[in-house]
Amino acid sequence: MFDYSALLYDPIYDAIGVPATLDGASITVIDNTRAKVQPAGSTELHSVGPGAFARIPELAALGITRADYLDAVLTFNGRTWTVTNYDFRGSPNGEDLGEVQFFLKASSGG
Amino acid sequence: MADVRENILARLVAVAASIPGIKSAQRDNVDITEEHLPVAMVFDGDEETNDAGDQSMRPAHRPTVVQMTPEITIIDMADLIGPALNIYRAELIKRVTTDTELNEQIVKTGRHGNGAIRYLGCDVGIAWVRERHGALHARFLFKYVLKPDEL
Repeated sequence: MFDYSALLYDPIYDAIGVPATLDGASITVIDNTRAKVQPAGSTELHSVGPGAFARIPELAALGITRADYLDAVLTFNGRTWTVTNYDFRGSPNGEDLGEVQFFLKASSGG
Repeated sequence: MADVRENILARLVAVAASIPGIKSAQRDNVDITEEHLPVAMVFDGDEETNDAGDQSMRPAHRPTVVQMTPEITIIDMADLIGPALNIYRAELIKRVTTDTELNEQIVKTGRHGNGAIRYLGCDVGIAWVRERHGALHARFLFKYVLKPDEL
């Protein structure tokens, strides 16, 4: 079995990841902020759906578990966000070696 | 031209714009960005009469009573979006139902004529975008006299 962390995730995070802090701990995330169009009756509201990917092994090594994710403060790319929810993106090596996708809401500087 | 329907809708935009905190009031705009928020959007309403069953010899251009049901949507983003929308809702209902121009000059309610203004209700949608986002859709009924001769 390939080591997906060494062969896939780590090179990608080295290339397009950005420095971040999650409740003060330094990590690397991939900015996943994307356009979001929200229907509001007859009107469509154009906004963004802020998000970020992080590697679960990196978080675990810092003692950050899934119980810590909700309401954590995530800062990257000059903005500060609050984690409202998350999804796991399991790797072939298992859920604990995959990624977590954080869904964010605007906080200070957002 | 005295098109009561258009006069009502135009006045509703002005009334919605007067709600404290509303950044802009617009008409029939179905494509907005978060920079517009908080926004009040007036949508042209359906118009109905009870004339479908009228088989009298009444001339076609004689006045008849019509009912229009426009909708006003208020959209905002806030952490406490529910209380924020309820404040807008209260201001909207109060301002529409008590507006002097609507009641006395356009719709002609009470001692001014046989028109009527009614608040029919609202529904609310909540979602996430950059922040918590909510939209309140308030529906009103306007009963007024349509005078084809004056259009």
